[in-house]
Amino acid sequence: MKPALFDYARPGTLTEALAALETYGDEAKILAGGQSLVPAMNFRLAYPAVLVDISQIDELHAISAGDRWLTIGATVTQRELERSLDLQSNPVLAAALPWIGHLQTRNRGTVAGSLAHADPAAELPAAAVASGAEIDVASPTGTRVVPAGDFFQGPFTTELRAGEIVVAVRFPSIPTTRGVCDEVVRRHGDFAIAGVAMQAVESAGTISDVSLASFGIGGAPTKLSATEAALEGQELRPELAAIAGRTAAEEVEEPWSDIHATGDYRRQAVGALVSRMVAGL
Amino acid sequence: MTAGTQQLIGSHRPRREDEPLLTGNATFVADIKLPRMVEATFIRSPVAHARLIGIDVAAALDSPDVLFAGSGADLTGVNAYPAHLSFIKAVNQYPLARDRVRYVGSPVAVVVAPDRYRAEDAVPGVIVDYDELPAITTIAEAIAPEAPLLYDDWPDNKILDFPASDPEVDHWMSTLPLVKETFSSHRQSANPIETRGAVAEYRNGRLTVWSTTQMPHIARTTIAVVLGLPESKVRVIASNLGGGFGSKNYQYSEEMVVAWLAMRLRRPVRWIEDRAEHLISTIHAREQEMTMEAAYEPDGTIKAVRCDLYTNQGSGELYIPGVTSSLVSAGSLTGAYRISHSAVSVSCVVTNKTPSGAYRGFGQPEAVFAMERTIELVARASGVDSADIRKNMLLRPEEHPYTMPSGGIIDSGSHIEAFEMTQRLAAGKLAAARDRHAGDATKRIGVGYAVYVEGTTPTYFGTTGFWTSYDSVAVSVEIDGTVSVRVPMPAIGQGVESLTSTVIADTLGVDEDKIDISLGDTDLAPYGLGSWGARGAVVTTGALVKASNEIIEKAKLIAAGLLEASPVDIELSEGKYRVKGSPDSAVSLAEVAVAARANTFLLPEGVDAGLESTAAYDPPDLDHFPDSRGKMSAAATWSNASHAAIVVVDLPTGIVKVVDYVVVHDCGTVINPTIVEGQIEGGVAQGIGGALYEHVVYDQSGQPQSANFSDYLLPSAVEIPPITTDHIETPAPDMPLGVKGTGESGTIGGCGSIANAVADALSEFGWNVTATPITPGDVRGAIDSAGGPAPWDHAEHGGPR
Repeated sequence: MKPALFDYARPGTLTEALAALETYGDEAKILAGGQSLVPAMNFRLAYPAVLVDISQIDELHAISAGDRWLTIGATVTQRELERSLDLQSNPVLAAALPWIGHLQTRNRGTVAGSLAHADPAAELPAAAVASGAEIDVASPTGTRVVPAGDFFQGPFTTELRAGEIVVAVRFPSIPTTRGVCDEVVRRHGDFAIAGVAMQAVESAGTISDVSLASFGIGGAPTKLSATEAALEGQELRPELAAIAGRTAAEEVEEPWSDIHATGDYRRQAVGALVSRMVAGL
Repeated sequence: MTAGTQQLIGSHRPRREDEPLLTGNATFVADIKLPRMVEATFIRSPVAHARLIGIDVAAALDSPDVLFAGSGADLTGVNAYPAHLSFIKAVNQYPLARDRVRYVGSPVAVVVAPDRYRAEDAVPGVIVDYDELPAITTIAEAIAPEAPLLYDDWPDNKILDFPASDPEVDHWMSTLPLVKETFSSHRQSANPIETRGAVAEYRNGRLTVWSTTQMPHIARTTIAVVLGLPESKVRVIASNLGGGFGSKNYQYSEEMVVAWLAMRLRRPVRWIEDRAEHLISTIHAREQEMTMEAAYEPDGTIKAVRCDLYTNQGSGELYIPGVTSSLVSAGSLTGAYRISHSAVSVSCVVTNKTPSGAYRGFGQPEAVFAMERTIELVARASGVDSADIRKNMLLRPEEHPYTMPSGGIIDSGSHIEAFEMTQRLAAGKLAAARDRHAGDATKRIGVGYAVYVEGTTPTYFGTTGFWTSYDSVAVSVEIDGTVSVRVPMPAIGQGVESLTSTVIADTLGVDEDKIDISLGDTDLAPYGLGSWGARGAVVTTGALVKASNEIIEKAKLIAAGLLEASPVDIELSEGKYRVKGSPDSAVSLAEVAVAARANTFLLPEGVDAGLESTAAYDPPDLDHFPDSRGKMSAAATWSNASHAAIVVVDLPTGIVKVVDYVVVHDCGTVINPTIVEGQIEGGVAQGIGGALYEHVVYDQSGQPQSANFSDYLLPSAVEIPPITTDHIETPAPDMPLGVKGTGESGTIGGCGSIANAVADALSEFGWNVTATPITPGDVRGAIDSAGGPAPWDHAEHGGPR
C-alpha cells in the first residue's frame, strides 16, 4: 500500500494550474483534499505521473453568499463550509454535510472535490442535484457552467473534460425552503447504502417546489420524479408519508446489490427514508 | 498470599505500561530501525485455487533497486513446517507456496529493495503463471461427494474429523421432545491496530527476529526448525504488540522468509504488513455451523445435547493448525448448565479461503450463540420462561468441581448469582430504553441474555503434539535492592507488566518503582508459551509467586545470618526481614542483596552467592492428550459471566442498535479491577462488532469482497453503547492467589446476547435468529416474511427517529 512514484506541482494561481494540466495531459490528476485520490494511489488503483495540488490557490478558496447563489470555491473544505454561517442559505446542503465521512475527513475533503470524484454513494452530489446546483468549470479556453443534473454521468464519471478544473460550485440561495438529507448506513460515517436528499417549500400546510434525489443505490444521484409529482401541491396529511414512500420505492430503477445490501433492500430503504422525511416536514 | 505487605492486589490502579504507550514512547516492531536495513514485499496469489506453473522473477531482478527477488524454489535450505498430530491431516506447508496456491493472499514470491516503495515498484516484474482450479468456498461444497480435493493425497477435504456418539444421548433424544436448529457463525478478522511484521538481523552466527508474535519462544522454536538452525542461535523479541486477539498466535510464512532473507543478504530485513494484506493474509476466524438438537423435559430442562459442528478452516496452511478453536467450541458447548449428556462431532474442512484460526473467545462465542439460542427455542417450545430454564440448569456453587460431558472440569463459579445480578441491572436499562422511545411505533426494544463459562489457561499443543500450559519467569534482586523481572510473555494490551509489578510488589514487599520488567525477549526470559487463552493472570502469577517465595526463603537465611538470629525467627513484612518479636532488628532487601552479591563473606555457611530465581508454574490436573472419545480437561480454571444486551430495532430500515450492555463477571481474585474492566469492555466491543457489523465476505470464486475498512465494518466508538460491569469474586480453589483469567470473556457473550435481544425485540414476527451477522436486510426480510408492515407504513404513526 505505497503509491507509485509521482511528480508534484503546486501552482499558486488558477492560470498556472490550467497550464500544468495542459502540459501533463492525461498523466496529471488534480489533488484537492486527497480523501479519495490518495487512498486510490496507495492501493495502486490510480498512478498519476503528476499531482497538481490546487489547495494553495487563494482565488479558489472563498465562500460567498449572494442573493441568488451560495458560491463555494474549489478548495473550500467540507468542514469550512459546515462552520460557515452562509450555509443557512441552502438547507439541503446544510443537512447533507454532517453525513459526509467523519469530522476528520471533512477537515481535508473539499466540497468541489466530492462532486468531481462523483462517488455514487456520496451525499454532496445528491444534494447538488436535488437543489439545482451549478458547477463552474474552467479550461485554458474559457469557462462554462454545468447544471448538477447534467454533471453526474455514472460511477466516478462526470461531464468534466480533459484539461478542465472545477473552480466553484453554486447552490441556490433559498434559505426559506425545507431541506432534508437522510441515509441508511451500518455505521456512522460510512458511504450510504441508500440515501435521499430532499427540498421543498412548505406554506400553510401545503408543499410545493418538491425536489428529491436518491443516492447510493445506482451509478449516479437520481431525481425521484414520480415522488415529486405525488407530493407537489399536496396538503401535508398523515397518509401522505406512506404514499410518498411507496411511490419512491416503486420508481427506483434496478437498485444495485453488493455485500452490504441487496437491491430489494435498497428499494425498501429509499421508501423508508422518503416516508420519514415527509412525515417530518 | 505471602505477606510481603504493599497489598496492591485488588485495588483500581492505572496501568504502568500506559504512559509510554500513550506518549508514543513504546517500541513496536515497526519502530525498529537498523543500519543497512532493507525492506521486503510479498507477491500474493490473486486467485483462490491454482497450480503454480512457473514464477519468473527476471524482470524484477533487472531493476537496479532490487536486492532479491525469488519464489519458494529459491528459499534453499528451508524445511516444511512440522506436523505432529495424528488426528490432524498434514498440509506440508512451506513458507512460500511451491506447487499450488489455495487462497487469495497466499504468499508466492518476495522482492527486497531499499524501501517498501521501491519494492512494490518491482512487483509487476514478477510473472507468475497460474493454472486455475475450481474453488471451494463453503462447507457444503467442501463435503459434497464429488468435491474437488484441496490436497491430492487426502481422501476428503476434512483436516480434522471427530465423530461423536453416546448411547445416553441417543436414549434421551428418542424419549424426550426435541428442538433442532442449525446456527451459523460467520467469518471474521480480529484486526489488531498493529498489523503483523518482522525485522530480522543475522550477525556473528546469531539470528535476531523482532516479531509481532504473541508467543516469542514458540516462534523461536519454529524458526529454528523451519530454517534448520540450532535454537540457541535464534533470538526472538516481541515486547510490545498493538493487540493480537489470537491472530498473532501463528508462525506465519512472512516471518520465516524475512529471517531467511536476513541470513542470505547479510543485511537486516524488514517487512511490515499493510492493512490490505492483513485482511487477506492474516488468519480469519469463526466461520462455523452448529446443528444443535436438544432433548428437554416438560420444565424446559435440557437432558441431552447433540451437535454436529462444521468449521470452514480456509486453506489449512497454518502453523500451528487452526482447528483448536473448534475443539474448544465443542468442549465448552454445555457451559455452566447441568446438561449431563452431550455428543458433539467436529469436522473441520479446508476451503479456498484464508486460513482460519484463533480469535478472542476462541470457539466459545460460536458455542454460546448456539447454546443460548437453543435455550430460547426450548423456552418457546416448552412454554417455560427462558430465565427459569437457565436458573434451573445453572450449576450451584456446591456442585463444583463439575465435570462437563466434554471432560472439562469447572472448578468453581457464581453462575446463578451472576445471571440474577445481570437481570437486575438490565431491567433498569431496558425500562430506560423503552422510555426513550415511548410513543415511537417504528421502534422495537428487546433484551437478550447469554450466560457462559470461559475456560482459561488452556493447554497448548505446539512443538511436540502434546498439550501443556506452563510458563516461567526470572526474578533477580540487584545489589541496590531493586528487582529485575524477565517475563517471556509479550505485552499485547492485556496488562502483563502491571500484573507483574503488582504481584512482585505484594510478594516481595518492594515499591513498584524499584521493579524493572522486561517482556517477550527470548534471550532474557526463560521459556514460556506466550500470551493467549486468557492464561497470563494464572501462569505468570503462579511463576512470579513461586520465584518470589524462593527468593524470600533465601533472603531469610541471609537475613538470619546478618541479624544473628535463627532463620525460623525471621519474618518478612513491609519489605523488611525482621526478627520476630524484635521489630527494630531488621534488614532491608538491599542489605540482603549486598551480602548475596558483593560481601559474600557475610553469607551463612552453605548459602551460595546470588539472589535470584527462575521459576516455572504448571497448572495441575490438565490432560495432555484427548482420550479415545476426544474428551479432555483442557482448561486449568473457568471464569464465568452473564451478559445482557439491550437493542433498539428500527422497523422501517431494519437497523439494529445496541443501546446498553451489562456484564456481570467472575474471574476469581481480581488483581486489578481497572484492567479487568478494560478487558471486558474491549471484548464486548468486539462481540458487538461480530454480531452486527464485521464480516469477511468472499464471492463464489474465492475472491475476497471485504478487503478494506470501508467494506470490513469494524465498529467505531459511536456503535459501542455504555457498558456496565460488575464483579463477583469466587477464587479459583487450585490456582495461585485464586486468580482465573479474563482476556477473552467480554467477547464470548456478544453474538448470543445480541441475537437473543433481536429475537426478543421482534418477537411479534416470530423470527428465529440463526445466523450472524444480523444485518438490516435480514431484519427487513424477517418482518416481510411475517407479513409485517412495509418500510413506509410506519411514518404515519409519527414519533421521533
